[in-house]
Amino acid sequence: MSVDLTKPDPATPDPNVSRSRRADARLRRRSRSAVARSAAGDRWLLVLIGLVLLAAGIGVTLLSYGVFGTARAGRPLLDPIIVDTVAADPVLWRAIAIAGGIVLAVLGLAWVARAVRPEPRPDVVLDGGPDTTILVSSGAAAEAVAAPAGSLAGVGRARARLVGSTAAPALRVTLWLTDDADVRAVLRRLDGEVLATARSALDLPALPVAVRLEVERPHPAPRVA
Amino acid sequence: MRAVLRVLAPLLGIAVAVAGVLVVIEVVAAWVLPGTASGLLVPWPDWGDTLASLSWNQNPVPGIAIGVGVIGLLLIIVGLAARRSEVRLQAPRADMTVTTSPRVLARLVGTRVRDSDDVLSASVTASTRRVAVTALAWHDAPPDLREVIVSRVQVLLDELPLRRRPRVAVSVRKQEGVQ
Repeated sequence: MSVDLTKPDPATPDPNVSRSRRADARLRRRSRSAVARSAAGDRWLLVLIGLVLLAAGIGVTLLSYGVFGTARAGRPLLDPIIVDTVAADPVLWRAIAIAGGIVLAVLGLAWVARAVRPEPRPDVVLDGGPDTTILVSSGAAAEAVAAPAGSLAGVGRARARLVGSTAAPALRVTLWLTDDADVRAVLRRLDGEVLATARSALDLPALPVAVRLEVERPHPAPRVA
Repeated sequence: MRAVLRVLAPLLGIAVAVAGVLVVIEVVAAWVLPGTASGLLVPWPDWGDTLASLSWNQNPVPGIAIGVGVIGLLLIIVGLAARRSEVRLQAPRADMTVTTSPRVLARLVGTRVRDSDDVLSASVTASTRRVAVTALAWHDAPPDLREVIVSRVQVLLDELPLRRRPRVAVSVRKQEGVQ
């Protein structure tokens, strides 16, 4: 019998370890993005349009006040040079205008559709055997988490929903804590009791979770005894 | 700001789409019906005449340009300020993310500070980096009340598994005019 005692070369990391790290990083990213619906696309489009408008506003203001020369400031907005250029090849410029209009229309409609589209709630598909597929609806899966989470000590109420896609679902849980809640204990029990059961029941050993903590509003005391 | 973004994003998308459709309709109409003197939906020949007779240094061009620049600046501010404000907490697992809002953290701190018998009222502002407490104390409150409040807030922060511990700043005012 021979035993290989050679040390692994640090320059060539174990492929299993690096694969596992990549999977962990993916799960962390999915749990981060499950915290709330992302508005990054809308934000950057807004910033981009804002930058274009700001640059145009500053440029035209400087031009108006003669920073680029008084002769240039005195020229008409619809410059005859531009009119002549367009008139020289009208078919080309019409085609460019139509193509630009179509691009704007498609981009605008895509932006509207993306902005008003409700967040997807994926169902969970369980493998029930060779010819059986069990579908757990998103609402049922979420309720199966919210009900036991709401009964944990220190939790006034809880809400859960599945987010992401059917291929890569994630769970978003919102807990309304009571004033006397021990946050560490609540999180520990949520993970050890509620989420462990959910992962097992839904057959999702890798289910990223985003937990949002809120504080239960105290009920106002009656003003008349 | 996030609510403003939610309203603005579809409105701007509609505006961009409508502008594109109008361009296509007007260009095609002008191409197919070359004899028409005015536009189909938009009076662009009139606009063209106005733009041809107006120079860059004439009013209202600078005013409109400044207005456009201000609108651009406002859009940039809304876009940058609409990011999620959240306080991260340590999670029991790597594939779990736990967050709360600065408002919740401020409320927890405020409840803990107001529990003190010597504190009449307290206002709290909280962020990931800093918790600031302004407490109004009874006129006969002990002189070391500030240290007591700091200690109470520190104990609360110890209890919360925050990923980043915020600095604590406490100022105490005593109620005046009561003997």
